[in-house]
Amino acid sequence: MKRTTLEFRMPKVNEVLGSAAAIVKGMSVTFREMMQPTITDLYPDAPPEFEERYRGKHVLQRDENGLEKCVACFLCAAACPANCIYIEAAENTDAKRISGGERYAEVYNIDYSRCIFCGYCVEACPTDAITHGHGFELAGYSTSDLVMRKEDMLAPVPEGAHFPLLVPTAVAGGGGH
Amino acid sequence: MSDIVHLTVDGKAIEAPPGTLLINAVKRAGIEIPAFCYYDGLKLQAACRMCLVEVEKTPKLQVACTLPVAEGMVVHTDTPTVHEARKGMVEFLLTNHPLDCPVCDKGGECELQDMTFRYGFGESRFLEQKQHIDEKQWSAVVYFDRPRCINCYRCIRVCDEGMGLTALGITNRGVLAEIIPNEHDHLNCDECGMCIDICPVGALTSGMYRYKTRPWEMKHVGTICTHCSNGCKTTLGVRNDEIIRGNNRDRSGLNGEFLCIKGRYAFDFTHHAERLQSPLVRRNGKLEAASWSEALAEVAKNWTAIKQRGGRFGVIGSTRTTNEENFFLQKFARQVLGTNNIDHHRSGDVPTLLDALSGRTDALATTADFYERKAVLIVGADLSQEQPFLAWQVRANVRHHNAHIYVATPGPVREDRVAAASVRYQEGGELASLENLREKLRAEPELVVAFGDAIQGDAVRQLVNFGDSLGVPVKYVALLDYSNSRGALDMGLLPHLGPGYHAVDTPGMSLAAMLADESLDALWVVGANPLGRHVLAASKPFVVVQDLFLTDTAEHAAVVFPAASAYEKSGTVTNLCGEVQRLEAAIKVAGTKPDLEIFGLLAREMGANLGIWQASKIFEEIRGSVRGYNIPLPILTTGGAAQTAALNGHVPAPPRAERIQAAHNTLFTSGSLGQFSRTLQVVLEAPGALYQGR
Ligand code: SF4
Ligand code: SF4
Ligand code: SF4
Ligand code: SF4
Ligand code: SF4
Ligand code: FES
Repeated sequence: MKRTTLEFRMPKVNEVLGSAAAIVKGMSVTFREMMQPTITDLYPDAPPEFEERYRGKHVLQRDENGLEKCVACFLCAAACPANCIYIEAAENTDAKRISGGERYAEVYNIDYSRCIFCGYCVEACPTDAITHGHGFELAGYSTSDLVMRKEDMLAPVPEGAHFPLLVPTAVAGGGGH
Repeated sequence: MSDIVHLTVDGKAIEAPPGTLLINAVKRAGIEIPAFCYYDGLKLQAACRMCLVEVEKTPKLQVACTLPVAEGMVVHTDTPTVHEARKGMVEFLLTNHPLDCPVCDKGGECELQDMTFRYGFGESRFLEQKQHIDEKQWSAVVYFDRPRCINCYRCIRVCDEGMGLTALGITNRGVLAEIIPNEHDHLNCDECGMCIDICPVGALTSGMYRYKTRPWEMKHVGTICTHCSNGCKTTLGVRNDEIIRGNNRDRSGLNGEFLCIKGRYAFDFTHHAERLQSPLVRRNGKLEAASWSEALAEVAKNWTAIKQRGGRFGVIGSTRTTNEENFFLQKFARQVLGTNNIDHHRSGDVPTLLDALSGRTDALATTADFYERKAVLIVGADLSQEQPFLAWQVRANVRHHNAHIYVATPGPVREDRVAAASVRYQEGGELASLENLREKLRAEPELVVAFGDAIQGDAVRQLVNFGDSLGVPVKYVALLDYSNSRGALDMGLLPHLGPGYHAVDTPGMSLAAMLADESLDALWVVGANPLGRHVLAASKPFVVVQDLFLTDTAEHAAVVFPAASAYEKSGTVTNLCGEVQRLEAAIKVAGTKPDLEIFGLLAREMGANLGIWQASKIFEEIRGSVRGYNIPLPILTTGGAAQTAALNGHVPAPPRAERIQAAHNTLFTSGSLGQFSRTLQVVLEAPGALYQGR
């Protein structure tokens, strides 16, 4: 069997120059980046920044009159692969109008212990009622904290809108014969 | 004309009997022709033009739903012209259609959605503003959204032909055409919801289901309606342990798609606020909530004491509990309490009929016979009100088979309108009035006779004699009240007859005798309300009640157990024609137990061994021991109706003739249960009346 022995060999000149060039090349990237503005978020010392299309905690939108956009069609729940959207529907009346359509979501829950932030619900929604917001601080001490209710997700009533619309009862009585 | 016609459809050779409509002939070959207005069993309308096909040698597209097949016909359903025509039709239908599928109740099971998806254009070329018309409420049950209507006339036809009413009509023409209710701005009708169910789109919606959920969100449970004795299958839509709707769109069960208001909407008693959800025990004269173990112990203690001192028991069973429960109850009464004092609210004289027909086969009518037989005689019943499904069958029979209907009633009934002859009688004149029909009945090839409680005891035998004297094959059915009135009789909830109508050694007291007995020590009432109609003579009996609500009877009880309703349990029930069907538990109501479980727990508490209280095991016992019940299990387990066999042998008459008094419910009443159904309370037509001719 042939034995190999470690023995010192003087580097050749071109090898030295090659290594030096590699260091210069690497450091040039480093120095160039040092001149750029920083992109590291200082979270939690400063609020993080998001790409516009970041998929965070959902926001249930309202229209310009403050009415909820969700008409409780259940399409988001049908589309959801994690089966984490729960809805109970109810009918709008003249006296109590919550959404723009005939129906509104009396209960709208999303279970964030199961949501995978895939965005299918947003895509399924025919009224653009459910959108992904940028909320991401969802940690809690128990999984039941992770079930968000409609009130936790609703967008605020826009400035100047009168919501809920209050209709004098004498007018509201109607509906049918 | 030959018996078979040959035609070619899309290159396939097809055979069909002459007279077959092209749309049906083609369907059998596995080719679909889209249709909206064509509906099996209803008259042809040719209103929607969705079914256009190309037929060679005819210049224009043809309407497949009205075109009978012809020898040598060559049909094309898959050509560019046909596709274009379908697209055009869908586009026309959508010109002013709101397409508000997200909020429309029909979304997800809408025929227009499906057709648009399959045959329509991807987009609309109409840019005009759509006309909005507000939704109208026609009744507590029926709402109409005009822009969604595609004018297919299905609702009009099902109400007119199917229900025998003409509550819906159409006004105006063309784009202004509009469905209208019979009372100008509201409906006065059966409130059956057939029109809502048959509507291919979301134009007709129901007050009970509107905007509550979506079809795919529900679990669908097929079970048997608990209200009348016709035994309709109702498919309950359940979400979160709450029944949200009832229908039978899959046409499973003997009733096909038919349901009356009770089977379709009167499930709402299950969540009535007054539903009992905890046992009650009387303490210091007041009924107070108690635990199950306390209540069970209280009953067992008292019953054991009464039994030891030789006291008198009375047991009253239910007409809505399952066969298994009834069987177990009579076994409990006879074996554990040692009494034959057991009865139920009887509504028709089945035992006498079975005895009068003993030895014959094929003499008991089935529900299908009302649709298939050439002639039907109705004696002493307002069929459309009291037996809605049988009335539906009779109307369909007239429509499809030109059957002859004969009516002998004390007052006008809806069946008069389709009857070949009607006679009226004064009470007591029932049989005499039939003589006026004798000649006509003799001329019929066959006959089905349905009779109410006006015919009982000896009159049943006279009726059978009358039938025999006609010289034609006759089948009979005794009309009954509730979903398992027949099962209560078959399972031996009778003082003189055990299961299968076998005589018992020492007949006990009947219901009336028990209530009139001053020395009765204990009364056990299961799912019945005898004290709603009678008074209890005994001064201090120990009364135990099992029920859904605090009925008049329960108010008198020492212990009340909260029972599960028919929609909350499994087991079997037998309809008035002896057809056995299976209940499927749809929901569970907290705090209640099925009657069978209550019986079992009571038996255990008394230290008695009556075997395990599992419905399937008890049904095995019933199959093995009750005459006529050796029915094939596969029919039952697949949700079908299994016909019990006819009895062969003598059925002894009761020792004392008892007057049988049926409840005579209308379409809007259901014994003591009806008052707890909000639907039955709020419809304008309630409570309805018999013999008004409607
Ligand atoms: S983001 Fe995906 S998983 Fe989360 S609720 Fe929407 S559909 Fe469901
Ligand atoms: S009727 Fe059908 S197509 Fe029309 S809105 Fe309702 S679901 Fe959509
Ligand atoms: S509910 Fe029944 S009776 Fe009333 S209009 Fe509709 S089909 Fe006719
Ligand atoms: S209401 Fe429904 S069933 Fe009646 S015509 Fe219109 S679409 Fe047809
Ligand atoms: S006809 Fe009788 S069994 Fe059928 S749905 Fe009506 S009440 Fe129920
Ligand atoms: S189905 Fe033929 S015209 Fe409507």
